[in-house]
Amino acid sequence: MGQSKTSSERLASLQGWVQKVAEHRDKAAFAELFDHYVPLIRAYSLAREPAADLVADELAQEVMMRIWLKASSYDPKLANLNTWIFTLARNCRIDYLRRNSRYVSEIDPTEIFENIEDESPGPFQLVHQTRAQDNIRSRLDKLPAAQAEILSKVYLQGKSHQQTSEELKLPLGTVKSRVRLALKKLEVLVTR
Amino acid sequence: MNKSTIHPDETLLTAYSAGSLPLSQALCISAHVEHCPTCQQEIKHLNDLGSELMQQLKPSPGSTDLKAQLLARLDSLDETHEAPTRIDKTISRCLHQFIKNGYQNLAWKRVSPDIHSVELCRDSNGAKVELLRIKPGGAATTHTHLGDEYTVILEGSFSDESGLYQKGDFLLRDASHQHRPVATQDGECICLAVTEGPIQFTGLFSRLLNPLIRRSYA
Repeated sequence: MGQSKTSSERLASLQGWVQKVAEHRDKAAFAELFDHYVPLIRAYSLAREPAADLVADELAQEVMMRIWLKASSYDPKLANLNTWIFTLARNCRIDYLRRNSRYVSEIDPTEIFENIEDESPGPFQLVHQTRAQDNIRSRLDKLPAAQAEILSKVYLQGKSHQQTSEELKLPLGTVKSRVRLALKKLEVLVTR
Repeated sequence: MNKSTIHPDETLLTAYSAGSLPLSQALCISAHVEHCPTCQQEIKHLNDLGSELMQQLKPSPGSTDLKAQLLARLDSLDETHEAPTRIDKTISRCLHQFIKNGYQNLAWKRVSPDIHSVELCRDSNGAKVELLRIKPGGAATTHTHLGDEYTVILEGSFSDESGLYQKGDFLLRDASHQHRPVATQDGECICLAVTEGPIQFTGLFSRLLNPLIRRSYA
């Protein structure tokens, strides 16, 4: 309980810095955001390419630039700040992989992953959203190791379900059903 | 049963949220999600999950050089940044990159008396991204697929052996399906279709077409 309070306090100060960047182009606030998020973004990049330190720097820099430019479009009522940063990092990773793949896709991912959130949620949805996130956080630690490992491969290492099944020498159906079980425990699935 | 066929399953949504889905498939998910509050909610939760997993990583601090370089660039970033352009709300957001002046002005090609199609692009995995336009009451030729086919209904509705599908519905058909979609009478139907391998026509006469069609995928 005490720990979750400090983490929500930290989130509140991070949100305050984003607001200062948005409203006052405040570079000191931006430097605070840099100190907090760059090590995480680099870790996210290194999870996929463990030795690629320069790639990690490049990704972190790209995400921080987007934070600077998009700070005014961030709405704490629509998404948790950490989630917003995660989606920026994911989108930058997708861009990076597209630019550096042997066969370049003709599809620009920008509009595919951005702004799909609905307009402005009502108070009920806000409460629901916060509760959903708390559930995910508190239950993630209790997930069986076999399920947590697969989620980490999919989300952090950026593996497809097929690649995950090959690396873990598990049938594809097993990988899919473990993801499904994990999502159920975390109450991520709304309807199924 | 019908309900589960009009949404992408959790495997696809998870891969979409994690960013590992081929872009042509992500395009279909995005076109569906824009019309589907349920999947919007699930994607929010899935993104929250990604975020929590990211928070659990062991932080890897960047160099002080990186910070100084970036701080020095911020002012010039503001100068070169373009404001977002206005958009046509009648067309799926993710398709604006291909459709600048409405559906009517695309270079539609006649496939059959009932169907026109226009190829939008190819993905890096070779998948073909196209729009199909079926006239009211018009039928597609019975066909199966060598690979998966992803379809999202953008306008109108159609039915096949398994049910009726409406605007925003998402369908995944694999090689085991043989189906014959028919547009409903009340209007034309426009679909986004992504095919991973060539379509196989199964009619007696049109089977002769298969070698020709396959070549266009080579």
